Amino acid sequence: MAATRLGKNAIAMTGLAIIVFYVAVIVVAAFWLPYDPVKMDPAHMLEAPSVAAGHLFGTDEFGRDILSRIMQGCFVSLVISLSATLMGAVIGTLMGIWAGYLGGAWDQAIMRVADILFSFPSLLLAIFIMGILGEKTYNVVIAIGIVYIPQFARVSRGAILTLKGSEFVRAALSNGASRRYVLFRHLLPNIMMPLIVQVSLSLSVAILLESALSFLGLGVQPPYPSWGNMLASARKFMMLAPWTAIYPGLAISVLVLGFNLLGDGLRDILDPRLRNVK
Amino acid sequence: MSDTGKRGETILSVRNLKTYFDAEYGLVKAVDDISFDLARGEALGIVGESGSGKSVTNLSLLRLVPTPPGKIAGGQILFRGRDLLQGGEEDMRLVRGGAISMIFQDPMTSLNPLLRISFQIAEALRLHHGMGKKEAKSKAVELLKTIGIPDAERRADDYPHQFSGGMRQRVMIAMAISCSPEILIADEPTTALDVTIQAQILELVKGLSDESTMSVIMITHDLGVVAGLCDSVCVMYAGRIVERAACDELFRDPMHPYTRGLLDSIPRIDSAGRHRLYSIPGAPPNLAGLPAGCAFQPRCDRAMPICGREYPPETALSDGSGAPRSVRCWLHAADAAARSEA
Repeated sequence: MAATRLGKNAIAMTGLAIIVFYVAVIVVAAFWLPYDPVKMDPAHMLEAPSVAAGHLFGTDEFGRDILSRIMQGCFVSLVISLSATLMGAVIGTLMGIWAGYLGGAWDQAIMRVADILFSFPSLLLAIFIMGILGEKTYNVVIAIGIVYIPQFARVSRGAILTLKGSEFVRAALSNGASRRYVLFRHLLPNIMMPLIVQVSLSLSVAILLESALSFLGLGVQPPYPSWGNMLASARKFMMLAPWTAIYPGLAISVLVLGFNLLGDGLRDILDPRLRNVK
Repeated sequence: MSDTGKRGETILSVRNLKTYFDAEYGLVKAVDDISFDLARGEALGIVGESGSGKSVTNLSLLRLVPTPPGKIAGGQILFRGRDLLQGGEEDMRLVRGGAISMIFQDPMTSLNPLLRISFQIAEALRLHHGMGKKEAKSKAVELLKTIGIPDAERRADDYPHQFSGGMRQRVMIAMAISCSPEILIADEPTTALDVTIQAQILELVKGLSDESTMSVIMITHDLGVVAGLCDSVCVMYAGRIVERAACDELFRDPMHPYTRGLLDSIPRIDSAGRHRLYSIPGAPPNLAGLPAGCAFQPRCDRAMPICGREYPPETALSDGSGAPRSVRCWLHAADAAARSEA
């Protein structure tokens, strides 16, 4: 039902197509890359993109092939944002649904912690956490994950609050179900739709956060490529060799666009109030 | 259904039950000091208008009153002699859906839209008897047949939106009777349904209670439902039981002015001519600020000075049939006092 509506939604399908393309790139990159993405080649420094020279997107200041680096960086970016979003989604949702369902002091305690995390701008909070944890790739996952916890807690708590007074919840309780059973068996499946939308939109921001952290030198460390650190090193040569900045930047923007389109499309599909408005 | 015990013995005894809600504008005494007994196999009707405390009474029986803001402030609920208010939450869960189960008012929202009908019907069986998936499924199909869903094998795997309102209420009943409860609480089970379906649902409940020793508590504001189904009736007003009688007696000779008002408000098919339907003047009182004395006194056409001062005591009356009959009204309290003096 939702799948056929997804097929008819041009926006969501465009987003999905973009994401599928990036996943395809990752699969290809796992088996074949045009050049070794970390091997320096001083003879071909800052070469402009050309088919004849064999560097489709040009080379960077160390003569490394930019296309290969972007393809390699794709894996890093997607894996980091996926796992960070997943971490934030799982922990945040668990906190949110318990807070919403139990109410009272639990709710207050959990949501005030979420509010404190919320009060910092995402990037600032992520930089702060990276500062504490140290510059490791897996710490990027943890930092972005923590940034996401309050967002998922809010979304899931709100959804639970609107549902927990439902008759079917009361009916399940009157059948002798425990509160945990009601929460996970009856309520959680009913709030999956807003959560899926939130995951999709969070993925796009996670890509940006990861790039920003790497750009600032806190994320993926050179020589290993990530779109963020490619942009950071390109900064110095932007006037001289604009392709060093344009292509990684393009890779980021298009993927972010893809996740946003998918998220918006999913929201249109899953939110009954927005359905058939056209 | 359960065949333990015999018809007529008291299975549930509610003693001085008080359920209060802490609202911003004060303490709401939704249920205030009510007592009643339920015999095995008996169908008891609890009648009253919106806000009279009838639903809260029954949520209290299963301790499902949302806490906070609600709390059961006092009293006892003796089920087979054991006080349900004393045990822990785990004990209570064994009772819910097992020995006492409940049907709710709105069948459209009482089923989880994302779970299959068979899963929901067999839920109590899995929770209480640890029944496996396969066994639970076949039991669910069996129950669907019992409640008269055609093509039960195929329909068992449907989702709630594929069922009509009447069928969903049947499903709710199937869920409620799955563990052969001793008491079935039906909270306005027919309010959301149209008249023909109402009759079918009531027929189903009646049939189920007739062929077993299951007791039924029917909460309703529809006196027609009471007349068709119940053996005895409690009339509630502002959180209290104002009159209790055998069903026939209540309709034959209503004692409390409120009961009389309710009966007079029923449109009659044989009423001659065109005249306005009677309605009780005024509006139900605010439970947070009840008037002194009898709560019904401001709307009562037979109010006396004493009604505004003091709450009438429960006056037990005997109607000769042996069924408990009592009323809380100064009119009859005075009668009884006069009779005992004479």
